[in-house]
Amino acid sequence: MTTRVCNRLLFALTLVVGALSRAVCYGAATQRPPLPVEQLTVEQLGPQSPHWAYVVDEAFLNEIDSRVYLFDADSYQRLGQIGAGFYPGVTLSPDGRTTAVATTYFSRGSRGARTDVVEFTDNKTLGVTGEIVLPPKRALTLPTLFNLAYSADSRYLFVAYITPAASFGVLDPVGKKVLGEVDTAGCVLVIPSGPNHVSSICESGRLLTVSVDSRGKETSRSLSATFFDPDTDPIFVQGIPTDNGYAFLSFLGQIHEIDFSGPQPMVQPPWMIVTAAERGRWRPGGVQVAALHRKLRRWYIPMHEGGEGSHKAGGTQIWVFDARTHERLARWPVPAKQQGSVLALQVSQDDHPLVFAATEQSNMLVLDAMTGELRHVESHLGQTPWLVLTAEGAKGRTVMKSGTRP
Amino acid sequence: MQSLDQLFENSARSLAKRTSRRSVLGAVGRLLTASVALPLLPFDRSSRALAADVPATQAKDDPKSCDYWKYCAIDGFLCSCCGGSSHSCPPGTTPSPITWIGTCHNPNDGRNYIVSYNDCCGKTSCGDCTCNRNEREKPLYRASRNNDLNWCMANSDVNYHCSVSVILGVAG
Repeated sequence: MTTRVCNRLLFALTLVVGALSRAVCYGAATQRPPLPVEQLTVEQLGPQSPHWAYVVDEAFLNEIDSRVYLFDADSYQRLGQIGAGFYPGVTLSPDGRTTAVATTYFSRGSRGARTDVVEFTDNKTLGVTGEIVLPPKRALTLPTLFNLAYSADSRYLFVAYITPAASFGVLDPVGKKVLGEVDTAGCVLVIPSGPNHVSSICESGRLLTVSVDSRGKETSRSLSATFFDPDTDPIFVQGIPTDNGYAFLSFLGQIHEIDFSGPQPMVQPPWMIVTAAERGRWRPGGVQVAALHRKLRRWYIPMHEGGEGSHKAGGTQIWVFDARTHERLARWPVPAKQQGSVLALQVSQDDHPLVFAATEQSNMLVLDAMTGELRHVESHLGQTPWLVLTAEGAKGRTVMKSGTRP
Repeated sequence: MQSLDQLFENSARSLAKRTSRRSVLGAVGRLLTASVALPLLPFDRSSRALAADVPATQAKDDPKSCDYWKYCAIDGFLCSCCGGSSHSCPPGTTPSPITWIGTCHNPNDGRNYIVSYNDCCGKTSCGDCTCNRNEREKPLYRASRNNDLNWCMANSDVNYHCSVSVILGVAG
């Protein structure tokens, strides 16, 4: 056979094989059973996990549409969402079953009559179960743990007001009503302790502590000792729950631990997270500036290199400390160039803890809290995720069981 | 010291009862006139304001740049990118009655200027030219130096839109 004949035979064979293949495949497809009819359903949440993060997105580019994302750091899935309106204050009830959101709405969406309200969401269904309408005085500021906070026994809910006159509202979350309002003489935010005590941070470097009665009225007030200097080394207002109260981090890296387990806050001696050589050069910063694993007794603190005025810069490293010895255990690098520096940090409170680190690029880093291993990057978890809450973290706030109910 | 604090707080409460909010704010603003620069919000909201290809000296003269000298204490969205200018609010918005005062250094003439920072209110976030300068900024408990607050809070419409920096005069 000539080469030309061979080529023609080969071409014909290719056509035959191709046609046969298509016939076989088409036949198989036509024999496959059709997809079943689907039912439209609504997903149900499983049991609450310590690795669930309630991520508050302030939605800075369109602030009337803030929201809270429920993110599962095991499956790396968003599980749901809670609406949060305008400049929200968000907190979880001590039993973790409820998310309370203090927010503001406008009657015509982006304008119109202002309504301030606290909304309660069932964390099992993510449905809103009730609300309390507030006077239009809510503090319109960044989310902190202390814009809105439950008393240890969940009997009261306290909400910070700034008009700019400072005060706070006392709410009944069961009866769904406002009980009263307490003037705080310029001291701000609501730091709950025990059944009926609320502390606020004062410009004088002290805490004002007010006790309220069952009608939401003030029964007593007192000032703590001065424990920080707002001129030379202010504290961040983002408190971190400890075993017996809260700790506050200063701009230059002092940790002020406050024992709230007694009738009055007791200020403990501060300790430094930076060496003398690092002081003023390495600083904490961001919005949610530290977290503590209370059982492991480990601190996790985003740190950056910067000078005065850099206190809102995110961390390029996460420093880990032993809460007992104050020894620095590790300096974990953050892939800040790729993912952004860390603006908000939280740690789960379980025996296999994870660190949640929300970045300025709106990414959520999930790290092994024991090793610092970066396990996952959830890209673009919202727009401006500035506060990360966990249900276990909320339970840990039930400090100061002592005290007499009014 | 405790008695001093109590004295101050009693005085503050008494003052609050006798004085309107706006007059208090005006007084605070005047008191701050002699103070140094103030700042605004957190995080890196520099977007196009800090474009790396713009020379630093040029950026200090560009009202759409976060590095503009007059913005030494500004934060939020620059009104000059939102239909206003460094000292005017965009159409349809309302200036905040609450103002806070700072001092910024103009590198072009070597003078320090007293500037007033106002928010423009009544529309939702401009969303452009985000800028964050925090020199000498203080936390919420020192409200007159804090930029985390929405300073449109005393407006009839508390929506925050953008921020301006208005020259009030030469310092000192």
